[in-house]
Amino acid sequence: MSLLKLQGVKKIYQQGRVEVEALRGIDLEIEAGEFTSIGGPSGSGKTTLLNMIGCLHRPTIGQIIFDGDEIEKLPKEELAMLRRHNLGFIFQDYNLIPVLTVYENVELALRLLGDVEKKEIKERVVNILKSVGLGDYINRKPNELSGGQKQRVSIARALVKEPKLVLADEPTANLDSKTSEDVLEVMLEMNQKLTTTFIFSTHDPQVMEYAKRLLTLKDGKIIEDRKNS
Amino acid sequence: MFLAKLALKNLTRHKRRVLITASIIALGMAMFLIYDSIQTGLNELSFANIINLETGHIQVVDKEYWEQREKLPLKNLIAQSENLSSVIKEIPYFKAATPQLKFSANLNNGIDQLPVLACGIDSMTYSQVFTTKDYIIEGSMFNQGKQETILGKKLANLMDLKVGDYLTLIFKTKTNTFNTIDLKITGLLQTNNPKINENLVYLPLSLAQQSLNLEGKITGMTIRLKEDGVAQQVSEDLNQSLASLDNKLAAHSWRASAGEVIAMSKAETAEKLTIMSLILLMAAVGIVNTIILSSLERTKEIGMMKALGLKENEIIFIFMVEAMGIGLIGAILGSLLGSLVILYFNLYGINLTALLGGVGDWGLPVMGRLYGYWNLSAFIFVIAFGVIISLLSSILPARWVARKDPIEAMYGIHN
Repeated sequence: MSLLKLQGVKKIYQQGRVEVEALRGIDLEIEAGEFTSIGGPSGSGKTTLLNMIGCLHRPTIGQIIFDGDEIEKLPKEELAMLRRHNLGFIFQDYNLIPVLTVYENVELALRLLGDVEKKEIKERVVNILKSVGLGDYINRKPNELSGGQKQRVSIARALVKEPKLVLADEPTANLDSKTSEDVLEVMLEMNQKLTTTFIFSTHDPQVMEYAKRLLTLKDGKIIEDRKNS
Repeated sequence: MFLAKLALKNLTRHKRRVLITASIIALGMAMFLIYDSIQTGLNELSFANIINLETGHIQVVDKEYWEQREKLPLKNLIAQSENLSSVIKEIPYFKAATPQLKFSANLNNGIDQLPVLACGIDSMTYSQVFTTKDYIIEGSMFNQGKQETILGKKLANLMDLKVGDYLTLIFKTKTNTFNTIDLKITGLLQTNNPKINENLVYLPLSLAQQSLNLEGKITGMTIRLKEDGVAQQVSEDLNQSLASLDNKLAAHSWRASAGEVIAMSKAETAEKLTIMSLILLMAAVGIVNTIILSSLERTKEIGMMKALGLKENEIIFIFMVEAMGIGLIGAILGSLLGSLVILYFNLYGINLTALLGGVGDWGLPVMGRLYGYWNLSAFIFVIAFGVIISLLSSILPARWVARKDPIEAMYGIHN
């Protein structure tokens, strides 16, 4: 069974009196362990699609099945719990909490799970930070880190709870090409090591090439779905 | 616990803003504490002055006299008797009792005349019930049986009298005929009760009784107890004992004579509540403003938190703890500021005589130096109030924040 299945997903936004169709019928299946990129020009619906998959918005029409659950049927609180336990997010702007240290930013994701022992939390946070190359930065505050380092913290925060799916919206958009490569290498390594499923959006062809499966969106529709050799 | 820690750390984001909001709360809280301290001090001083200088703890008088007491009638007086003294001495917490005979008179210095309240007292027992003697600032207490008097220095100054001078009291006797007594001034008083300083002339009880043709009669017996707080209960018990002795007699606790002061105290409590409401409003506006500003600045972060799986209640909790933190800082700062001012008032007091310039008495029987009163319950109330109000006023803005759509929050769309 696939980890994620989208059937005829449409998303229509109301902008004043105008209806904007951001997604125009998406059919998609994602298997566990995939490393998939969503490409396409600005306004093609990449972010909207990621938000749908991330259970942050419900489709106007269509069905999204995540790990056997039809997400449009779940109430708000259950969606929050589904995100808490099964999904990791990596944001373009990192969205780290400035008053928390690197360690605490990552710890937050684990603390929310509620049933992890303090000792285990420490072990997992330190290990994941070492894995993303930030073992020596655990007591730093986000404002003491470079853009690449911040994105690594964001990756560590998404991965520390070992989610089934990690969604990354333009994770390298604010980074230079060298740092972007580093960040993608880390994501790829984590995908291979932890067999975590990754879906990330980008409009940078160079970044897209890291993906094993490439989806291209245009005007709210998938116009290309191919394996990357 | 982690979310509470996060909320408290959030207070360090905009230290200046937090400090300004907390300072507004602190200022209001300090004002309340200082007002409470002065008001409580004023009440305590008023009550102490009434007990120590006017009424003692309990007065035993004729029931009909009590109704007319303001007019100082020479009717419905009570007889000094051993039986009455025995009943009084048997009451619990009894310390001392003294007879008084009050009457209205005109004080004449040979040139001018002024209406006064004359009070015949037994100087020995009077000093066991009242502290009046402690306020003699010139001369000494008169000798029982002699034609001597003490009076307030302010009254003496007004009538241009001093120790050693003679004054004349003109009054009507029991039979409604005029009589006069010449009295030598042996002492001048300056008490904390303006009524006594301006209006009272003390003379020996036996002389007053003789001059009024009221031998053996008194307007009442005044009782001093060993404790202040039991007066009401003891006067009720005494009433039962008096009923078997003479059903015309009644005992009244000092509170019955302090109606005006108690009414003023209640009015001050209403003022205190008004001040508290203003503080409440100030605190609520400050907190709501801070929470809304914080949420507008942190919309992306809130979106991220929702993406991480935080529930609305957990986000509300974070903002509520932040608001409580601000309230607590404000309340603690307010308590510290209030404590400093109260400490000053407690050590040095406020000179009411200088403040009022001898003009009036605020309607309260207080003069001299007013000291601030430490009211621990007011401090506990202020801290709890600061925290609770901050918490309550944060609920609505926190709910507004928490209900934001995660996508709109992350992309900074404000509705």
